[in-house]
This record gives sequence, structure tokens and C-alpha cells, in this order.
Amino acid sequence: MTTVIVVVVVVGLLVGLLAIRISNRRRPVDGVASFRRHIDALSPEARREVIDRVQNARDSGKGK
Amino acid sequence: MARDLAIDLGTANTLVYMKGRGIVLNEPSVIALNRQTGEVLATGREAWQMIGRTPGYIVAVRPLRGGAITDFEITERMIRLLLQRVGVSRFTRPKVVICVPSAITEVERRAVTDAARRAGAADAQLIEQPMAAAIGADLPIDEPVGNMVIDIGGGTSETAVISLGGVVALEAVRVGSFDIDAAIQNYVRREHGIAIGERTAEEIKVAIGSADPIGDENEAEVRGRDLMSGLPKTVLLAPEEIRFAIDDVVSSIVASVVRCLAKAPPELAQDFLVRGMYLVGGGGLLRGLAQRIERETRVPVRMSPMPLEAVVLGAGHCIEHYEALKGMFMGARR
Repeated sequence: MTTVIVVVVVVGLLVGLLAIRISNRRRPVDGVASFRRHIDALSPEARREVIDRVQNARDSGKGK
Repeated sequence: MARDLAIDLGTANTLVYMKGRGIVLNEPSVIALNRQTGEVLATGREAWQMIGRTPGYIVAVRPLRGGAITDFEITERMIRLLLQRVGVSRFTRPKVVICVPSAITEVERRAVTDAARRAGAADAQLIEQPMAAAIGADLPIDEPVGNMVIDIGGGTSETAVISLGGVVALEAVRVGSFDIDAAIQNYVRREHGIAIGERTAEEIKVAIGSADPIGDENEAEVRGRDLMSGLPKTVLLAPEEIRFAIDDVVSSIVASVVRCLAKAPPELAQDFLVRGMYLVGGGGLLRGLAQRIERETRVPVRMSPMPLEAVVLGAGHCIEHYEALKGMFMGARR
């Protein structure tokens, strides 16, 4: 019984260490992805909708 | 479900952008209170019309001066009223992005976010005005090139160099178009012996004010109170007089632009010569200012297509792409 518990604890620790290592390895990839998302969200195409919406409202207000 | 909001909490005007709708409010940042009871009597345009024309028991104030919060309690009440006016209640709790001057202190930062949360916001984030202005001015800030934006507001003037979605260099001075109005008020009092109010000073600035000589200049008739006799009096003001009166203020704005240019890395500095600098904010509308900055820096200066709305447009874009752009908020981990 004790041997089983020891084996389970050791396996658990190994899985935990492996998970930490994998998550650490993934971090730079996440950084690249989030930076890409950030830059894409600032592109002129992404901003067009907001600028057009306000520009159109302003133009229609002037026309009245 | 409440629609998320972006607020440009300016010294002169407050603009509110609603997600998916556009600009839903654009009014002066003024609140009128009953001096005895502390009750709010009016806000925005209605309160602005009361400035300098109120009986003793009413006071019409701007809770922000020089880009700083002069009265936390009144600012909180103004934010609460603003949110109520655009439909925020205790049942609809939107996310809010608020534009603030980059030179804001930690205490002021916390006061603004706390005020927005207490007023009904589910989450309140802050963004630096020059960053929001660059997004709203439609500059290619997603590219690795130098973009320079000069935001001249009522109480602050901020110049920023932006590249790849981040601020590279920043320079801010607590001087803006209200200081230009104050300089005109002081000049008229000193040289012509008449007292004028801040609204009259602003009207003079709009009518004949300029930072550099421009063609087709006219004189303006100004009415005020004679300091000696106390009677109403009219004087004629020339555009050169106003240029002289506001020169110190304009010079300090230009000096801050020069300091920001000096802080920029050389690789980006060469971009400015080709792409120029962009002027935003109400203060940028002063005639001859672009020309004066261009003359003193030898860098082309262009006016943003929507100078008054650029800051709230930028914050509005952040609220539309909240998840992707939350790294831009003040205090966010990048």
C-alpha cells in the first residue's frame, strides 16, 4: 500500500514538473501570438470601422 | 447588457464613445453646484453657459485644471452623472476605458478608476492621452516607423513618439489652451485697464489669436469692465498684441516638442522629416501654431483630420478590441 502511494506521489511530481516545463516552453510562443494580436488590432484596417463610424456621424450632422 | 464605454476626460471637454455606436456625448467638463447644499444644478454645456454669470449661491467649476484633478469629489460626481446620461445604471455595468494625461499621479489614477467603478463601471482602465490620440489620428503605429503626435489640450500639452504600438519618447507640460486664455485676460487687464472673463478671452483667441503671423488679420472689439471707473468699456485689440500676449505659453509648448524630438532615437528621428508630426486637440486649432512649430523644428507639421475627437476615437478603438489591446492600459503588464 505504502509503495503504491509513494509511486503515485512520485508520478504526480514528475507529471507536475513536466507540465511546468511545457508551460515555460510555451511562453515565448504566447508572447509572439499576443504581440501579433496587439499589432494586428492597431492596423489601419482594424481601426477603419471606428473612424468611419464617427466620420459618417459627423458628416451626416453637418448635412442637417 | 450595457455597452462598453471610452471616455476622454479632458480639462476642457468630455467625450464619450459607446461600443458599436460611436460618440454619444461631447460636452464641456463643467459642473454647476449649489454652494450651500452642494447639490448639482447642471453639467456640461448648460453649466458652461453659467461660468462667470452666476449668483452668489451657485458655483460653476471645472473639476480638472492643468490636466490634474483639482477636486476629487466633484470629479467623481461628474463621472457618475456622465455615465448616468449615457444609460449606465446599477443593473448595467459596462467596461470603461478613460483617457488621462500621461503625467497623472498615482493618487489621481486611483481616484479616476475608483470614481468610475463607484459610478457603475464593472471595470475601469486608463490609457495615456497621446497614445489614444495616435490611434485616433489614424497614424501607422503598428509599423516600425516613427510617428509623432502633439496633443494640445485645455490644461496639458503632450508630445509622444510612437512606434510598433508603444510609446518610445514622451514629453508633457502642464500648459494648454486655458493658459493662452489666461494670458490674454492678463494682457488686456495690464495694457488696456479692463477686466474680461475667461469666456471673452477664449472668444478673442478664436477670433484673432495666432501663434505666428498669418495673412488676412483683423482687429477685434472687446468689451469689459474698466478697472478704474468700474464702468463697461470697449477697446480695440490688434492680432499682434494677442501674439505678444500668448508668446510665453506658445514658446513653452514648442520647447516641449523640441525636447521630445531630442529624446527620440536617431533611427526614428529621420522618419519625422518624411512623415511629419501630427497636431491633435483643441489647442492645436490655434492659427499659425503648426506653422510656428514647423518653423522652429524644421519638421513638417500636419493637422489630424478629426483633432477634437482623435483621443476618444483611439480609446473607442481600444474598447472595441479590448482583449487584444489591454496591454496598452496604464499599469498593465506588457
